[in-house]
Amino acid sequence: MPARTPAGPIALWRSASGRPAASADRCPHRGMRLSHGFVRGEALSCIYHGWSYAQAGNCLRIPAHPGLVPPETIRVATQQVQEADGVIWVAVGEPTDQPPRFEGLVPLRSLMANAGIAAIEAAAGAKSGADGLLRTSGNSTELRLLLVAQEQDRTLIHVLLKGDAPVSQRIFASRIAEALRRAAEDVQAKGIA
Amino acid sequence: MELGAMRNEWYPVGLFSRLNERAYETALMGEPIEVSVNADGKATVTSRSGRDLPVRVRYGHVWSSLGTPDKELFAIPEADQPGRRFVDVGVVRVRCSPLRAVENFLDIAHFPFVHTDILGAEPHTEVQNYKVEIRDVEDEVWATQVKFYQPQAAKSASGGITTEYMYRVPAPTCSVLYKTCPPRPAEWDVITLFVQPLAEDLCDVWPWMALFDDVTPMTDLIHFQQTIFLQDRSILENQIPRLLPLDPGMEIPTRADLTSVAYRRWLKRHDYTYGAQLVAQ
Repeated sequence: MPARTPAGPIALWRSASGRPAASADRCPHRGMRLSHGFVRGEALSCIYHGWSYAQAGNCLRIPAHPGLVPPETIRVATQQVQEADGVIWVAVGEPTDQPPRFEGLVPLRSLMANAGIAAIEAAAGAKSGADGLLRTSGNSTELRLLLVAQEQDRTLIHVLLKGDAPVSQRIFASRIAEALRRAAEDVQAKGIA
Repeated sequence: MELGAMRNEWYPVGLFSRLNERAYETALMGEPIEVSVNADGKATVTSRSGRDLPVRVRYGHVWSSLGTPDKELFAIPEADQPGRRFVDVGVVRVRCSPLRAVENFLDIAHFPFVHTDILGAEPHTEVQNYKVEIRDVEDEVWATQVKFYQPQAAKSASGGITTEYMYRVPAPTCSVLYKTCPPRPAEWDVITLFVQPLAEDLCDVWPWMALFDDVTPMTDLIHFQQTIFLQDRSILENQIPRLLPLDPGMEIPTRADLTSVAYRRWLKRHDYTYGAQLVAQ
């Protein structure tokens, strides 16, 4: 799937054995977005000509030339990926710290808002805490939102809930998050934020 | 924008069969133009400033140019051959460089992945060696002896066959493909890609065909070709950068890409750079 870090667009993918990986979202052959590609086994293949890449970024196979071992120079840039408590973290450069842990919380869903972080905080009437989470609630359901800035005043909102939340609360939480998104987009459109 | 040498080339601007007296507006290389037929049934093309542009009606399409073409529109002798059916496929608008659209048309290695189970299928992915040349007399790029295994090469094909192709690039945004003709092994089916550059990163693609096929309904022929081009569009609108890089280093070709390599070299040699990126960015 396509994703974005401050280092640019990436293709984020999970291999058959379950390991997540991130590579630059561009096949060096003809510039096609790798996030449109497909995963087979431990490799990501470009949808255009089927060139496949290992999680380390080196090209494994060029289907037009099945007998050819691709030279080491054909590769895509990769970024470190870690999975913690159901959240996938992608590092820009060489991180010195481990990603934050959200003990007792489980991820519910992610949504994209056409609004900046300031607009979302204004709509929620709260600021993100020291742990990076924005707390909001409704109908006795407590949500934690992890906000990730994207390009052009867009924000990816990851919704987390307490691990023991029953299905009814999860449904409420999802609706609350959508309502917050609409409110934030209104704030953004009016230019208040 | 510098139009370079491409200013004096011919481009398709519409289907002649769809013209009527009410002019329709389109564009050529960023300049708005109007296409219509006059009372005598002759096609006319005018720029927004009222300038009459050169016109040809050929291969089902109206052709024009913003400049003064010093060459006649390229010839397709098969267009005058009796017994062929001529198919106006229509238009597909693609948000990409017109040159990227042509380059994709010249490529066979993508068939198993983009046109799966139609023009190609795994595990038949190998591209065998073929011949590529820039013919100096005609000043055209040619690829010959191109062979590929195809599950359903044409509407008239039943089952998989190894298809032989020849490609021709007679103009910077046009390509003519000669392809094994299942009902008539001695002849070639002709499939063309005529690309109208609307802007450097936006084009209207007008495929046209001259086939030996008396059986398949016209609608099916059109649907077949439109299906193929819509699959190509999903690629063309997701290539980075949108413009075609002409300098080596930005993209990595292999032996299977020799036609594309010759096409890029030919474009550069002629200063055909509208829709191209010259310096790696």
